[in-house]
Amino acid sequence: MGEQLLLPDELLLMLSEKWTCRDQQLRQLRTLVSHDRINLVQPKLHVQATTPSTVVVYGPCATGKSRVIQAYLESHVTKFAIVNCRECITGRHLFERTVAAVAASLWNDKPEANRNDTYNERCENLAALVVHLQKLLKMHEKFVLVFDGVDKQRESAPTLLPALARLGEYVSGLITIMIVQHPPPRFLHQSGVPYIHFPAYTRAQSVHILSRNPPDIFLELPTDVPDYDAEVHAEDKPWLWPRYCAAIWDSLAQNAARDLVSFRALCIKLWRPFVAPILAGDFGTRDFSRLLVAQRRLFQDETVLLDSIIASPTLAPPTAPSQDKPSKSSSAHELPYYAKYLLLAAYLASFNPAKTDALYFMKSTERKRRKKGGGTARSGGRVSQKRQVPRHLLGAAAFTLDRVLSVLHAILPDDLRGTVDVYTLVATLTSLKLLVRGGGLGAGDALEAGGKWKVGAAVSWEYVQGLARSVDFGLSDYVAE
Amino acid sequence: MEYEKVYVFQPESERPAKRRRVEPQGLQTSWRRRRQVFDRVWSGQQQAIDARLDGINASTVNKVWHFLERAVLDEQPGRIPTGIILTGADGATGPGIAKQVAERIRVGKHRRILLSLSSSSGTNLKALLKTLIVKATSRRTGSSDDEELDDEDDELRNPRSTGPKLLNYDLQLLQDHVREHRTEQVIITFEDTEAFDGDLLSEIIELLGCWQDRIPFACLFNIATSIDFLQQRLSKAAVKALAGQVFDVALSSVEVEQVCEAMFDTDTPLWLGSALMSTMLERQHDYVVSVDSFAAAMKYACMSHFYANALSVFLGLEAECHDIAADHVVAVRQLGSFKTYARRLLDDHQVAVLKEHLESDTALRLLVRDKVAKGRQKLSAMVQTLKVIRLVQQRLPHTPVSSMSSLYVQAMSGKLIGSPLIRALLLTIRKAPSNIVVTLLRDLMAFHTEKHTPTIPDCQLLLTRFEDLIESQKHSTKPLRSEDDSQNTTLRTTVVAQKVELSKQKSALSEQDKKYTELLGILTSGIEDIFASNLVNPTDLIFHEIFVYDLKSPYREVFTPRPRHAIERALATPHDYLDCDCCGSGQGDEHVEATLAATQPATAVLYQLYLESGSLINASDLWQAFQAVLGDGGEEAETMTLFQRALAELRYLGMMKSTRKRVDHVAKVMWQGL
Repeated sequence: MGEQLLLPDELLLMLSEKWTCRDQQLRQLRTLVSHDRINLVQPKLHVQATTPSTVVVYGPCATGKSRVIQAYLESHVTKFAIVNCRECITGRHLFERTVAAVAASLWNDKPEANRNDTYNERCENLAALVVHLQKLLKMHEKFVLVFDGVDKQRESAPTLLPALARLGEYVSGLITIMIVQHPPPRFLHQSGVPYIHFPAYTRAQSVHILSRNPPDIFLELPTDVPDYDAEVHAEDKPWLWPRYCAAIWDSLAQNAARDLVSFRALCIKLWRPFVAPILAGDFGTRDFSRLLVAQRRLFQDETVLLDSIIASPTLAPPTAPSQDKPSKSSSAHELPYYAKYLLLAAYLASFNPAKTDALYFMKSTERKRRKKGGGTARSGGRVSQKRQVPRHLLGAAAFTLDRVLSVLHAILPDDLRGTVDVYTLVATLTSLKLLVRGGGLGAGDALEAGGKWKVGAAVSWEYVQGLARSVDFGLSDYVAE
Repeated sequence: MEYEKVYVFQPESERPAKRRRVEPQGLQTSWRRRRQVFDRVWSGQQQAIDARLDGINASTVNKVWHFLERAVLDEQPGRIPTGIILTGADGATGPGIAKQVAERIRVGKHRRILLSLSSSSGTNLKALLKTLIVKATSRRTGSSDDEELDDEDDELRNPRSTGPKLLNYDLQLLQDHVREHRTEQVIITFEDTEAFDGDLLSEIIELLGCWQDRIPFACLFNIATSIDFLQQRLSKAAVKALAGQVFDVALSSVEVEQVCEAMFDTDTPLWLGSALMSTMLERQHDYVVSVDSFAAAMKYACMSHFYANALSVFLGLEAECHDIAADHVVAVRQLGSFKTYARRLLDDHQVAVLKEHLESDTALRLLVRDKVAKGRQKLSAMVQTLKVIRLVQQRLPHTPVSSMSSLYVQAMSGKLIGSPLIRALLLTIRKAPSNIVVTLLRDLMAFHTEKHTPTIPDCQLLLTRFEDLIESQKHSTKPLRSEDDSQNTTLRTTVVAQKVELSKQKSALSEQDKKYTELLGILTSGIEDIFASNLVNPTDLIFHEIFVYDLKSPYREVFTPRPRHAIERALATPHDYLDCDCCGSGQGDEHVEATLAATQPATAVLYQLYLESGSLINASDLWQAFQAVLGDGGEEAETMTLFQRALAELRYLGMMKSTRKRVDHVAKVMWQGL
């Protein structure tokens, strides 16, 4: 294979400049999936013999797999189709979309008149897919088909991946590229498949990529400093931002946000609070070390690493002053009185062993109940052989409905009229997932006699303590330790 | 007709003569009229309630709407703009908000579609997407022109005339729809977020996030518990895909207050009594019950009064009163309140007046009309006074403001006037400094002119006197203090003969302060007079049976039935329900023995045996006991049949089930009295 057969290095250089730090992968790609734009110019030179029919591209998330492949194909290959497997709901959906994508890419450059006879046929299974691809690609010498994230395909048959890897054996001129995250060894049941590894970015690479487009320090240029104009700002930005990114990497990201996307998100999240003193005029734009020391609190607070649906109020831009208002009033939506007691009863039923119920919930005298603390002579002093895990740290146990109702009757300070409202309450709490059906026979059927319930995951020890406090109930008297 | 297989049944146009027996008689004759009155009364109140409930969340709806508007304009790439609406456990307001948002969409300038998903829409991703796409493509978009809509419908019938056929769960369909209709936002509301399976919810959110670059999605979540709980259940990728903002709706207690106030504000002819009202409010507070059910309970109370109480016909229009049938008037004479009224007339030696009422129907009709009108006026004056109480509470510092509903309950029970609440209130006024008192007085007057609440006579005069007094002590900016104010008394301790004596000492008061205290006395006595004259006990009013409804039992029977108790009781004492002669003798001492008799239904017998046993029941023992109860009279095979049927019925009722612990045993599942 002569050097002149490969594409001009300028094109590759251009790509590797755009997709920085992915030099090696681009070169590998060039060797494996060769160009055919050149072939248009020099039709006699064929390189098909060197192309494998399947290529696996793998690497952890946010390492540029999909984007690099797409950019490469766009610049080097005339005919290709990319199927995003994450958007496919079933295996059949994947086949249908594949056929549609291939057809669309083939008809893409034909005049509009021909589009009426679009490829409009069903594709139920793998065999049909092979037939369709054979039919579609009959006239084409080379076609690249990319399955992006095919290891995350929903409802896929176990034979899907090996079968897709073999498509090239049945359809001539087809190259299949599979983009996966962590391929298990021999997952294609085939040997000799070339792999291209996209490793995670290192510290230097991450910072380098991020520093390519630094965000603004000043949203509006300061008016009180006379000679600070846009030009100086444009110089300051790329000076400060990489140093800041490196500091973020060292303090937070290297342990908890190593991939590029979350690293970038983290940097952007903390950027505005970080530069706030500069905006306030306390520090100059080049006082990085002093600024770092002053803002060290930002780099120690690990809560920013948690994702949340709501932007956390402390980091929000100070333009919205009424930030704390919704969080204050949101706690006011409380459960009704009996719902609280029912949850307490359910918690007790879940976390107390059933055999101790008589001890804790019998309406006997206080004196009798106190006795449990005394113990017998045998139990005193000696540490138990079995290691006891506190009950509230274990998972919830299932209980029957009648048990929780009896516990409810026992812990309520006054009598409860067993109306339909109580059962509605059980149903409501179940739909809120504060109680969940589970355990025992017939867990799915709500009408099954003796069906069992559990408290939901949200009903933790702390939550129940809060409930008990709000209804003034001595929870600790009833919890078996 | 015999040769016809099918024929059309054509009933005679006139009903047979026999039917006429159903025609109402006696007090029932007024039923039609009472129903009309009810319809008129309730429609007004329903409107008032609806208006209040719509208005209560108007600000939230506004905020949600602004959020959606903003989401159209500046999109965040890769994240779905998400509104999280905290609805509280009953979750009844969530759909209301979605409805109001949908109303806005219809008139808004952007083209949007609102799709709602509930947990019943599908149990897997495929079904959920199918519902979503069907709803989106069959729904009309937010344009108003009818002709245009028809065109759109035609287009919809064959979506994608070009291009390949798509599976019905492919979001490509939605994308094409959005593109064809130039929709600018697809809003998806999750009605009961908690009821969704956590994995399913994460999956659909991740998928929507994938499509966000092609379909402009926005989500609204109704949340009953908390955001943390939602986040716990979602996958990390799903959480990353959402950019949320929280919206809070009114608390359910506030909603209940609003419904109550709507009830009092309209000129209602029927007032609910304290016992019923407090039961309803209690249920609202204790259980997860939506506010709609509260309104329904009110409607039911109204209905049962007008439908069941013949005398409610007097609440109709005044002009109609004179032709009310005579037996109604006779019924009025039986009312307890009329009897007390008659006794009072006799005590006052007004025998002639009483005689007229007893003999002349016309006179009594007039009396009823007048007194009912007066009683209703009294009650509305009472509600106005409650507003005055609330106003005073609001103005005074360190005084909690009682809710309208609780005040109403107390007032209707006639216990408010002597209650500690009122006494404490009057004492606080007596101690209040001048700046507070003046604002209070001004507000009282403003309230009087606005809402016709009762007020003190010569209010204006009193105010000018207060103001003059304040004017006169220009030199000090401190407000005037009352003599009763505890700041003006000091506690003095003296030790006399080794005993500590505490004595209160009034500090020296200025001349103005003394005058001020005097004026305050006038004010407090005026307010006291208002309370005394307006806070009447409704049961003291004559004919209160007509315009006050206070029966708890229909409400309890209908809204809070006890199904389990009913079944248990019926099985335990079948005689009470069957009323047969065979086991009727069981009275008094013999009752215990009579509970187990061969004449009882087999299921009841078996149930009583079931109650006596432990949690695991040996089937053979049970059979032998059963056989012993039923006696040797019958064939064994027959008894066995009865036994097996009874066993099957108990199992069907969910009282027992087979157990894997022991093959020949059944497990007891339900205990009595829960």
